[in-house]
Amino acid sequence: MEYKVEAHRIMSISLGKIYNSRVQRGGIKLHKNLLVSLVLRSARQVYLSDYYGGVCFSAQQVESKEWELMDAEQNKLRPAAEEGPAPQKDAGLGDATPVADEPTSQPQADGESPAGAQQPPAEADAETGGTSPAGPAEDQTGGGGRALPDEAGTPGAHSCPTRKRGAEKSHHACSPQKRTKVTPTPDSSGAAEEPEEMETGNVSNLITIFGSSFSGLLSKDDTPPASEGEDGDSGSGQICCDQMLKNLNPWTTAIVAF
Amino acid sequence: MAGTGAGGNDVQWCFSQVKGAIDDDVAEADIISTVEFNHSGELLATGDKGGRVVIFQQETENKCQPLSRSEYNVYSTFQSHEPEFDYLKSLEIEEKINKIRWLPQKNAAQFLLSTNDKTIKLWKISERDKRPEGYNLKEEDGRYRDSTTITTLRVPVFRPMDLMVEASPRRIFANAHTYHINSISVNSDNETYLSADDLRINLWHLEITDRSFNIVDIKPANMEDLTEVITAAEFHPHQCNTFVYSSSKGTIRLCDMRASALCDRHSKLFEEPEDPSNRSFFSEIISSISDVKFSHSGRYMMTRDYLSVKIWDLNMENRPVETYQVHEYLRSKLCSLYENDCIFDKFECCWNGNDSVVMTGSYNNFFRMLDRSQRRDVTLEASRESSKPRQVLKPRRVCAGGKRKKDEISVDSLDFNKKILHTAWHPQENIIAVATTNNLYIFQEKVN
Repeated sequence: MEYKVEAHRIMSISLGKIYNSRVQRGGIKLHKNLLVSLVLRSARQVYLSDYYGGVCFSAQQVESKEWELMDAEQNKLRPAAEEGPAPQKDAGLGDATPVADEPTSQPQADGESPAGAQQPPAEADAETGGTSPAGPAEDQTGGGGRALPDEAGTPGAHSCPTRKRGAEKSHHACSPQKRTKVTPTPDSSGAAEEPEEMETGNVSNLITIFGSSFSGLLSKDDTPPASEGEDGDSGSGQICCDQMLKNLNPWTTAIVAF
Repeated sequence: MAGTGAGGNDVQWCFSQVKGAIDDDVAEADIISTVEFNHSGELLATGDKGGRVVIFQQETENKCQPLSRSEYNVYSTFQSHEPEFDYLKSLEIEEKINKIRWLPQKNAAQFLLSTNDKTIKLWKISERDKRPEGYNLKEEDGRYRDSTTITTLRVPVFRPMDLMVEASPRRIFANAHTYHINSISVNSDNETYLSADDLRINLWHLEITDRSFNIVDIKPANMEDLTEVITAAEFHPHQCNTFVYSSSKGTIRLCDMRASALCDRHSKLFEEPEDPSNRSFFSEIISSISDVKFSHSGRYMMTRDYLSVKIWDLNMENRPVETYQVHEYLRSKLCSLYENDCIFDKFECCWNGNDSVVMTGSYNNFFRMLDRSQRRDVTLEASRESSKPRQVLKPRRVCAGGKRKKDEISVDSLDFNKKILHTAWHPQENIIAVATTNNLYIFQEKVN
C-alpha cells in the first residue's frame, strides 16, 4: 500500500516537473525530461502492478460479475424491444430505434451511452477540438429524455466527466471503469475502488494533456515516452490543462497544484 | 614538490584566493558555469550564466618574497555570448557558457573556444603594450589635423603603453546543433574539434565555420523510441582518431574515426552491470554519466555519475578498474533530491597533472580528493570561514546516521544549494580552482 502512495507521489512530482519544463528559460531540456519520464514510467509500473496485484482483487471479482450480468442482459435484448424488467442501463437505452441498435454493437458502446448522457456537457468544454465524439452524443439525443433522470442517481457519475476526453488511449484505459459504474450493483468495494481507478484515469488524462508524445506511457509495450523536445503544442496543452483542472475532484489536488 | 603534480593526503591544501562577490545574495548571471586552466596553467578561465568569460593570469613569482605563492589576477573579461531568440521554435537560447576549452598556444596570442547551448565561438586573446605615435595627418586622439598646418614629415614610432588585453571573436560556429550543446573538445591535431549535443556529435575544422561533419547520430527515427542521450564527449589526448562519448544510461562508447565516416558503431563499449540490490525508482537517473575525462596519459578515463567516480582502463570494457563513492550517504535521500531537482546536478571531475589523484565536487561546498595511488580520500570545504591567507584546510566528515561525532556534520544539515559542480587542476602544479555558486576559490599546496 505504501508503495502505491509513494509511486503516486512520485508520479505527481514528475508530471509537475514536465509541466514546469515548458516554461523554463532556454527551452525544454531533452536529457532532464527523458530522465523524468523514465521515473514516471517506473512509478506508474509500480503503481499499476500494485493495483492489479492484489490490493484491489475484489474489484476484479466485481468486474467479472458485471461482465456476466451484461452478457446476460445483451442476450435478453437481442430479440429487441425489451425494456420493462431490464436493469437501469437498458432503460437508458430507450426504445428509440437508433438507440435500440446499441445492444448489438460493441459492449463498449453500451457502457458509454448512459454515461454519455451526463458527459457531453463536460465533454464539449473539455475537448479542445470542439468535436466531441459524434456517436455517444447522438445516442444521448435518442434516449436522453429517459436516460437523464435514471442517471441522476448513479453514484460517482458526476465525478468523472473527463473520462471520455482525449485520445483512444485514455479511452481504452477508462472503459473498464464505465462498466463498473453503470451496472446497478455498486458494492462498497466497487465504490471504494472508483477513486483509485480515477487516479489512473486522471493521470492518463493529464499525460494526454501534455502531448501525444507520451503515448508510450499508456501503450501496452511500455516504450519509453519521448520528451517534448520538438513538439510545440504548448498552446493547446494549456487550454486542455485549464479545463481539465476545473473538473478534477479534490482527491488529485497534488496534481492540480502543479 | 611543485612540478610533479603529486597530491592527495600527503599534500596539505591551503587557501590562496577567492574571487567573486561576497554577499550571499547571488545574482543569477554571476553563477559560474565552467572553469578551465590553459595548457601551461598560467591562465585560468571561468564562464558564467550571464555569458561572460573572465580570465585570470598567474603572476610570476615575486623575487623579493620567494616563499609567497603566485597569485591569479584578472587578465581579461569579455562578453562571449548574448541571449538569443529562435524565432522558428519560439525558444530563448540561454547565454550561459557551458564549456570553455583552450587551444594549445602557437604564438603570442591565446585562443579559446567557448560555447553556449547552440553556438561555439573561437576567441583570440592578445596583448597590446605598444602603440604607434607621431602620425602626420592625425592628432593623438584621432582627430584629423588641418592639412594647411602640416609643414614637416615624420615617421610614426611605436611607444610603450599600459598593457591592454583584447579579446576578439575570430570564428563563430553556429547553426549546427538542434539540441543543447553539452561538450566541446579540441583534437590533439590542433586543427579540429568536436561539439556534442544530446543526440549528435559534430566534427569541425577550426578554420571553417560554414560546415561541420556529423560523426555520431543517435537520434531514433521515431522520437518516441528515445531511450538515451549523449551527456559528454572528449577526444583522446594523443590519438587524434579516437574519442569517447558517455550516455545517460551509464555507458561510454569509444569510437575510431578511421573505421567509418559516421561513428554510430562504437569500437568499444564500457559498461558496468547494475547492482540489482540498489535498484530504485531513481536508478536510471543516478547512473547517468555527467562527465568523462581522459587521463593525461591517455591510458585511463574517468566518469562521474551522481554518487560515484569510476576509473576505466581503456583496455577493459566490462567494468571500471576503480570506483570511488563520492557521497554514498545520499543514496537514501534520492527521493528528496529528486523533488528539489538536485538529482539532476551535473558534477564534473578532473585529474591532477600526473594522474595520481582525482577531484570532484559535492554539496555543502564540499569537494573530494581521491588518491588513486594511496587509496585514500579526503573531503574538503570551500568556505569563507576557512579563507584566511594560507590557512590549511581541515578534512570534513559527514555523519550518515547514528551518533554524530564532534566535527562531523550530519546529512540533514547539508546545504544542497551550495554545490561544487566545476573544478579544475593546474596541469603541472598542485594548484586547484574550485567554483562554488558564484565564487571561485583557489587552493594551493602548503609550502613549508
